[in-house]
Amino acid sequence: MDSKLSELKAGDKAEILAVNAKGEIRRRLLDLGVVKGLNVKVVRKAPLGDPIEISFRGCHLTLRLEEAEDIHVNKIGEVGDGKRMNGHHHGKRGFCGGK
Amino acid sequence: MGNGVFVVANKTITVALAGNPNSGKTSLFNELAGANQKVGNWSGVTIEKYEGTRNYNGYTIKFVDLPGTYSLTAYSPEEVVARNYIIEEAPDVVVNVLDGTNLDRNLFLTAQLMELETNLIIALNMYDEVKKQKTEINIELLEQLLGSHIIPTSAVKKTGIDNLLDHIVRVFEGNIVIAKNKLSFSDRIEQKLDVIVSLLEKEKELSAKYVVRWLAIKLLENDKEVYALVKEYPVWLRVEKVLQDTYHEFMKHHKEEPEITITEDIYAFIRGAITETAKYHVKVKKTITEWIDTVLINRVLGLPLFFFIMWAMFQFTFKLGEAPMAWIEYLFEYVSLGARYVLPNGMIESVLVDGILAGVGGVLVFLPNIVLLFVALSFLEGTGYMARAAFVVDKVMHSVGLHGKSFLPMITGFGCSIPAIMATRTLKNRGDRIVTMMIIPFMSCGAKLPVYVLLISAFFSPAMAGNILFGIYLFGVIIAVFSALLLKKSMFKGESEPFVMELPPYRMPSFKTVTFQAKYKAEMYVRKAGTVILLASLLIWIASNFPFSTSIEREFESNIAMIVNSDTYNVSEKKAMIRRIEHSKSTAKLEYSIAGRTGKIMEPIIKPLGFDWRIGVALVSGLAAKEVVVSTLGTIYALGESNEESVDLQQKLQADPNFTRATALSLMIFVLLYIPCVAAIGVFRKEAGSWKIVGIYSVYALSVAWIASFIVYRLSLLVGLGS
Repeated sequence: MDSKLSELKAGDKAEILAVNAKGEIRRRLLDLGVVKGLNVKVVRKAPLGDPIEISFRGCHLTLRLEEAEDIHVNKIGEVGDGKRMNGHHHGKRGFCGGK
Repeated sequence: MGNGVFVVANKTITVALAGNPNSGKTSLFNELAGANQKVGNWSGVTIEKYEGTRNYNGYTIKFVDLPGTYSLTAYSPEEVVARNYIIEEAPDVVVNVLDGTNLDRNLFLTAQLMELETNLIIALNMYDEVKKQKTEINIELLEQLLGSHIIPTSAVKKTGIDNLLDHIVRVFEGNIVIAKNKLSFSDRIEQKLDVIVSLLEKEKELSAKYVVRWLAIKLLENDKEVYALVKEYPVWLRVEKVLQDTYHEFMKHHKEEPEITITEDIYAFIRGAITETAKYHVKVKKTITEWIDTVLINRVLGLPLFFFIMWAMFQFTFKLGEAPMAWIEYLFEYVSLGARYVLPNGMIESVLVDGILAGVGGVLVFLPNIVLLFVALSFLEGTGYMARAAFVVDKVMHSVGLHGKSFLPMITGFGCSIPAIMATRTLKNRGDRIVTMMIIPFMSCGAKLPVYVLLISAFFSPAMAGNILFGIYLFGVIIAVFSALLLKKSMFKGESEPFVMELPPYRMPSFKTVTFQAKYKAEMYVRKAGTVILLASLLIWIASNFPFSTSIEREFESNIAMIVNSDTYNVSEKKAMIRRIEHSKSTAKLEYSIAGRTGKIMEPIIKPLGFDWRIGVALVSGLAAKEVVVSTLGTIYALGESNEESVDLQQKLQADPNFTRATALSLMIFVLLYIPCVAAIGVFRKEAGSWKIVGIYSVYALSVAWIASFIVYRLSLLVGLGS
């Protein structure tokens, strides 16, 4: 099911289909590892509803809803469905995150 | 050496440190360079440049800490600075500092450095944490894949430092070599690269100076700086044709730009490398960082906790600063007293005590606040909370066109504009930064408080005092918000930093990292106090004392002499009268001086706001420091030393028929909004990088102040506050 990253709720999991942002925002997303095929989870929304926090392979990233609007995703899971957040290219846990 | 005599080779090795933000690069730099550091600016930008040297086995190693970046694109000034340094200064060795617990993201920069074909050494930093997480990394294999030596280090535990230094020397001397590995892309990219490279190689000048494969990659990535560079050469026409064809071909067949394919290829390479070389200890439970965040930035507690942390930071800055501030005040008081005692009465004494010591001392008292604030800021930044703070408040800031990170400098402005303007350095986008700097002075600073206190207690009932004071602060915030919207919609249109940001794992910052910034800012501030402020204080002193009128002196001296010699008054009556005459004398002198005349010249402009020349003088001298508005009013209204609680001055102001409640409100609004003190303007100029911006800001602030005061004054008159 094709939707936008901005439409997901906290706890939802999705696979990224395309990053349609332009210019600097797209470059920043790419540099931080947000590319096609990546599985992400929406961790939470900020207290005022915007921006949102996403995580993938143990990394945590924040972006605004207007920036998330240009990221097309395929929803693959919801909070509490027991599905593990696996990276697309490997089955192990993530690489990011310190302690 | 050759002739058998042992000579210590004294060679200099230049080493650049590159790495992601939060990779522990700065801590490692501190370990490598030790105390022997200097801070400057990269030319043309206000990004701090850290350099340090160290002697090691007879070599002088010069370390340059490049700005922390995730990539080397042309989008952010940090990245441009980093890559230009590597390309143009060609350091002997580039040390790429990796956060070993975050290889996936960190290796993206490594890939960019590989493209640049530098002498790369990788410092696999935070190795202690890697061990703790039971991650196994096959370093030898990873070395081959990346074509670079990898040294496990931990800046926190101080391990691997000597090994790293050793490798720097050996790589420099060519004693150890690992075959450089070219990053290979998918065939469809490689084909295009081959075509472009063969074209670029025809330009001898280009191929001599640059790695042409890197240029080709950047051209396919649409990098505007490399575009501009290659455009200067005749080969451009043919290159451009290839680039256009490639673009259309990719869009048609693959539905994505070459840039995306390149990035995806790099990530595929990184993931391949990690899968081959690293074994992670599977863990399902939440990390400590995730636990902290479920409390610290959750939807209910996020904002209250944010406000609490900000509050705590200001308590720390201003409460803890009180004592040392008092010491500095005492120190200057003693020095002034001493100077008055030692020096004969007269010009030299006055210029030193009333001019220089008062001016410089008035600025240096803020030093403890600046140090403490930057200790707190570096600490919060180092722990990783700053990014979360921006996350929590971004919505509010974004609604006025600013970035979440603008919040902190703005709030700091309530204390003092100077550290607030310095703190805008966390904003990467120039437009965001300048707008934030321009609205900071509207956040009423601590030095303006005495002015409000004086006027409110002189003209309003104690029951109203709190409301009026709050109203003034609120008015400042409203003007700031309005200005941000206006400036963002006009002068700084379109320029805005994307909010896409990493939320790094929480870490305890090292003592060195926390204190270093504070030390550096303090040095900068003291230097400023010793130069610009000193000069400005001197100028203001001159303006309020010259031209010198001997006739005024003579007239008042003779009056005093008459009283002294008269028999009609007793001693205490004489004293009081002499005091009064001394005060009228200083008023007369001030009126005659440049400052007084300026006030007179200004009068037509400020008359509509309800101000006469005396207020004009106070406003001009308020440029030295805002509290000076009070002391100048005191002098003009013929009092000696005056501060906000001097009932005498309050009574004098009340007694003046031209000084009404409407005037008081109008004056408070004007003081709130007009340009800040010279110290703040100096810092503004330094941080903004041009006088033009300061000029634009000054015109804007003065206009806003005038218009707002005018409206307030006229409305006050309408509602009957004119008496």
